[in-house]
This record gives sequence, C-alpha cells and structure tokens, in this order.
Amino acid sequence: MTGPHEKPLLDVNDLAVEFDTYGGTVKAVRGVSFSVEAGKTLAIVGESGCGKSVTVQALMGLVPMPPGRLTAGTAKLRGHDILRTTQIDGRDFRGSEIGMIFQDPMTSLNPTMTIGRQIAETLEVHLGWSRKQSFARAIELLELARIPEAEQRARQYPFEFSGGMLQRAMIAMAIACEPAILIADEPTTALDVTIQAQLLDLMADMQARNGTAIILITHDLGVVARMADKVAVMYAGQVVEMGSVDDIFYRSAHPYTVGLRAAMPSNDSSARHRLLPIEGSPPDLFAPPSGCAYAARCPHAMRICTEVEPPAFQTGPGHYGRCWLHHEGVAGAAETLRGMQPALRTEPGDAAGPNREEKA
Amino acid sequence: MWRYTLTRLLQGIITIWFIATATFLAMHAVPGNPLAGDKAMTAEIQANLEAKYGLDKPVSQQYLIYMGNLMRGDLGISYTQKNREVNDIIREHFPVSATLGIIAIIFAALGGVLFGALTALYRNKWPDTVIMLMVIVGISVPSFVIAAFAQLALVRINGALGFSLLPVAGWGTVAHMIVPSLVLGLGTMAYLTRLMRSSMLEIVNSDYIRTANAKGLPATRIFTHHQLRNAILPVVTVLGPAIAAITTGGFVVELVFAIPGLGRYFVQAVQQLDYTVIMGTTVFFGAFLVLMVIAVDLLYGWIDPRVRLN
Repeated sequence: MTGPHEKPLLDVNDLAVEFDTYGGTVKAVRGVSFSVEAGKTLAIVGESGCGKSVTVQALMGLVPMPPGRLTAGTAKLRGHDILRTTQIDGRDFRGSEIGMIFQDPMTSLNPTMTIGRQIAETLEVHLGWSRKQSFARAIELLELARIPEAEQRARQYPFEFSGGMLQRAMIAMAIACEPAILIADEPTTALDVTIQAQLLDLMADMQARNGTAIILITHDLGVVARMADKVAVMYAGQVVEMGSVDDIFYRSAHPYTVGLRAAMPSNDSSARHRLLPIEGSPPDLFAPPSGCAYAARCPHAMRICTEVEPPAFQTGPGHYGRCWLHHEGVAGAAETLRGMQPALRTEPGDAAGPNREEKA
Repeated sequence: MWRYTLTRLLQGIITIWFIATATFLAMHAVPGNPLAGDKAMTAEIQANLEAKYGLDKPVSQQYLIYMGNLMRGDLGISYTQKNREVNDIIREHFPVSATLGIIAIIFAALGGVLFGALTALYRNKWPDTVIMLMVIVGISVPSFVIAAFAQLALVRINGALGFSLLPVAGWGTVAHMIVPSLVLGLGTMAYLTRLMRSSMLEIVNSDYIRTANAKGLPATRIFTHHQLRNAILPVVTVLGPAIAAITTGGFVVELVFAIPGLGRYFVQAVQQLDYTVIMGTTVFFGAFLVLMVIAVDLLYGWIDPRVRLN
C-alpha cells in the first residue's frame, strides 16, 4: 500500500452510470470509487451484470451515449479528470496513457487489416511515427508478446491467428505506446485454461518491464489470486469490499465475498468440500433496494440491512467493507464474519495450512 | 491469387457454354422458324432456304455446327437483316450500351456507398429521413416510369430556361449520357444505399470499432480505415447481380431515350426469331456478365483477405 503522501496514478471517485432503456433507467454503476497505483494490479471482481465492465468502459469513454449517461463522479489520471472527455491537453489519452484489451480477441480486431498495421497505427496516431518505423516497432512488440515468426505474422490477418495469439497481439497493441495503465476486461474468459496461464504471465512480464499498472476485470478468483495486489469486489453496481489480495482471501469483510469464496472450487482432495452456491439472484437495477443490495441473499441480514445502505467501514489498513456487521453496535459481528470464512483457506502464516503453496 | 483467378475464369467458360446451350435449346423449342414470316413461300423454296441455312439438319447437328462457329468467334449472319453479321451488330452497338451501363454502375456504387454511409452517420436525423425516403421511391418505381418523368422534367426545364440544358433523348455527347445513366442506376443505387446503411450500423457497434476507439484513433481515421472497408463488403458482393440488373434494365431505358444500344436488337431478334442474333447477343451478354462477376469476385478478394485463400 502506498502512503497517503503519494498520489495514486488513477483516482476514481463516486462514479455512477445509468442506461435509459424502454423498461426504465438501469443504474448500472452506483457510486464506485477506487484508485490504482503505478506498477500495481487492481482486480475488479464480480458476477455478470455487476457493472465491472461498464465502470472501465466509462473511464475509456466507450459507453455509448445515449443510452448511457454518466450521472456522477470524477476520475483523475495524474490530476486530470478524464471522465466525460477523451483528451488530456488536447491529446487522446486512450491508447497512449491507458491501453485496453477485451474479452473476445476473435471479434476485437479489424478483420480486413493486418495485425502489424493495427498495432502500428496506434504508434502513427499517438507518436507521429512513419508507417515504416511503426511497422518495424509492431514486429518488435509481437516478439515481446512471444509471437513466433513475428515478421511474417505481422503481415497476416486476424483470421490467420489462433485465439490465444490474437489476445497476445491485442496485448502488444495495447502496450505499444507504453501506457501507464493497462485495462484488461476479462482477457482470458474466451480462452482455454492453458492459454489463460500464458497470457497472465505475459501481462505480468509486461508490467514488470514497463512498470504498467493493470486494472484486471474478471469473475475468476483464481486469476485474482494469481495477479492482483489489490481487489475491488463489486456487487449490484457498487464496490462492496476493497482490500489487498490477502484481505479478500483470508479476512473477507463482506458476506458476498465469503459467498464467492465458498462457491469456488479447491483442488485440495483431503478437504471434503462442497461448492456452496449463493442462493437467489442479484437485485433489479431498475429499482435498486434502499438498503444493502445483498441483504436479500445474505445469511446474516439484519433489519437495518434492508432499510439503510451500509457505508464503507474500514476493517484494516486499506481494507474496507460495505456491511453493517462492522458497525460497533453489532455485538459479536467479528465472530460472525470469522465463523463464515470458508475452511478451505487458512492464514498465510499458518505453516500447517493445506493450501500453503497456493500463492507461492 | 493467380490460381484463384484461373479457376474462376475456367468456371466462367463453363457457365458461358451452359448459357449458349440453354439458349440454343430454348430457341429451338419455340414453334416456328425465322423463315416462317408473312411472305408466302412455296414448300420448295422454304426447303431450299432451310437447306441453305442448315435448318433441315437434326437439331443435334445444328448445335455442333453452331458451337464450332462460336468457338471460332463467328456468331453468324442475321436471318432478317440484310448482310449484317452479328459480330458487326455487337461491335457497333455494344459500346453504347456498355458506356451507359458503366456510367450507371459507377453512379450507383458511389452514390450507394456515400448515401448509405451518410444515413448511418446521421441515423434518425433529417439527412437519414430524406435519403431513405428517396430510396423507397428509387426501389419501388420502375426505371421506365422514372425515365418518362425525367424526360418530362427535362422538357419543362429546357422550356423554362429557353435553351437546351440537357438533351431529352438521343446519343452522342457526354450531355446525352447524364440523365439516362442516372435513371438507369437509380434503382440499384437505392438498393445499395440500404445495404450500406445496415452494414454501417452493424459495424459501428462491432467489437473492433470499440477497440479502435480504445486505441484513441481519431473518428475520421476510424471511419476511413476501419468502418468503410468492412461496410463495403456486402455492397461489393451484390455488385455482380447489380451489373446484371443494370445491363438488362438498360434495354428499356435505351428505348425510352432513343439510344442506339444493343438492347433494341436483342428484343427485336427475339420477336422475329432471328436465331443467330438471339444466340449472338445472349451469349455475348452472358459472357460479359460472367466476366463482370469474376471481376467483382477478384475485387472482393482484394478487399477481404479472408476470401483470398479459398
């Protein structure tokens, strides 16, 4: 965690996005705040429809408006508010300051332009390089992204690449101008597991090489454990818990995080562990509940949970949870939360723990 | 690429052979023959004439003779016109039809792409509404009706101006070509506009346009480098059939504007059962269309790399 004197690279505050539909207004993102530090990875986790993709798309000016609408919030990149604009000092920050890769590499590249040209054009536009110079750099970038025979590959079209190679080419494209931040919106969801590991390694390498900050959006807790420094757990358009990766996995401060962990498979055969689904379904975002959005599914819901929205309670350094259990008036709350923690993981310091090697 | 071109040309030759055979059979299936005119003829004269033209031979033999001549590039002599070789008729009149058709196609393709892109960019705003209204007119009103109205309008305009701004009919100068080719291309242009519009709208919401935005490319570059080329693909696909529609539709427009094109001979020949002219013009038009379609296919391969390999 950085000290308070050091300003974060990107500081998102109280972001809210709504969509006007025929059925009414969907409040997709409801007051999301987080910050990203240089060279670190922030993972945003949550189930489908929780607003994690919309959050980053709003930052990148990719939310179609209409029907989308930014109703509140600021996002400061090195002090410049980048919300509602795509420019910093007259230059487009997208591609130069923030690079982005998407979920489906098969459809995310232009089918009628060579891979090399698609990478090169970012350099042409942002750095004003010549076509030739940019193309040569594109080949280097493909090599960095571990694409064999990059020289020939750069002259090929997306349909001649496999899904994993396309996603590596996407990474090469996103980091072409050495952006300060790389946003990866479910980068491995469309790919199989072995390719997934290669890609995550590649992203980690690029991060180490350039000191890039990564915002990783995923619903895979395994990916989070592998990559993240900091985690934001989103539910129904809000960040319900925010903390370091250890906070999230060992000291969950929100019943939803606990539920996610209990629903996650473990490869420990000795622990007879049943996967526990979270009962019910997320609330209707046309009319979000006035209290805690998770109350209807929460095994520990109290009367106040259905009536008043919980604020973010600090439960440790840099660790926050939006849950009334942390209120000082709730007796035995700490014990309740601790009792809820699934048995499949133990404290990192516990040598006898069954999953000791998991994060090593 | 060469292999692909060669394969397509070979396929084209087979198609032309098929067209020639089908026309030959269909023509002979029609009762009567080119000599059965209104002039009274004794059976003997008729038999002599038939022998001269080879019409007394079995159809299978006539077919072989015809094919042999065709392969040598000899389309024969007209049965009904004095001393006219079919090759001469085509040589004289096809350039006129081709000029008209090509101008019409260019007008239709450029207009279709331009208006289609415009309607997509200004979706649900007034340019979209106005253009789409014109498109409905262009698609639903047949070309001969529009041709007549265009002539009427020209007469009025020329009358009001007191001099001839554009000629109402005839052929010869560039001024003669403008209105007929506009009329001829209008229906196709309307169709292409609609196609281009839906294709553009689909692409605007595609993942790779989102990627282009996320790369921070300027809107103009996204339009020229990413949207246009991909949006044109379906338009190029239908260009082949569109050329067919325009060349065949040309017969009517040629007639209305008194243009000395090939269309008139084609229609006349069918009415008079002038075997050689029917065969000659049909095979020629067929070959021309096949060539155009091949050209469009090659163009398509050039625009879309995915087509090249197959």
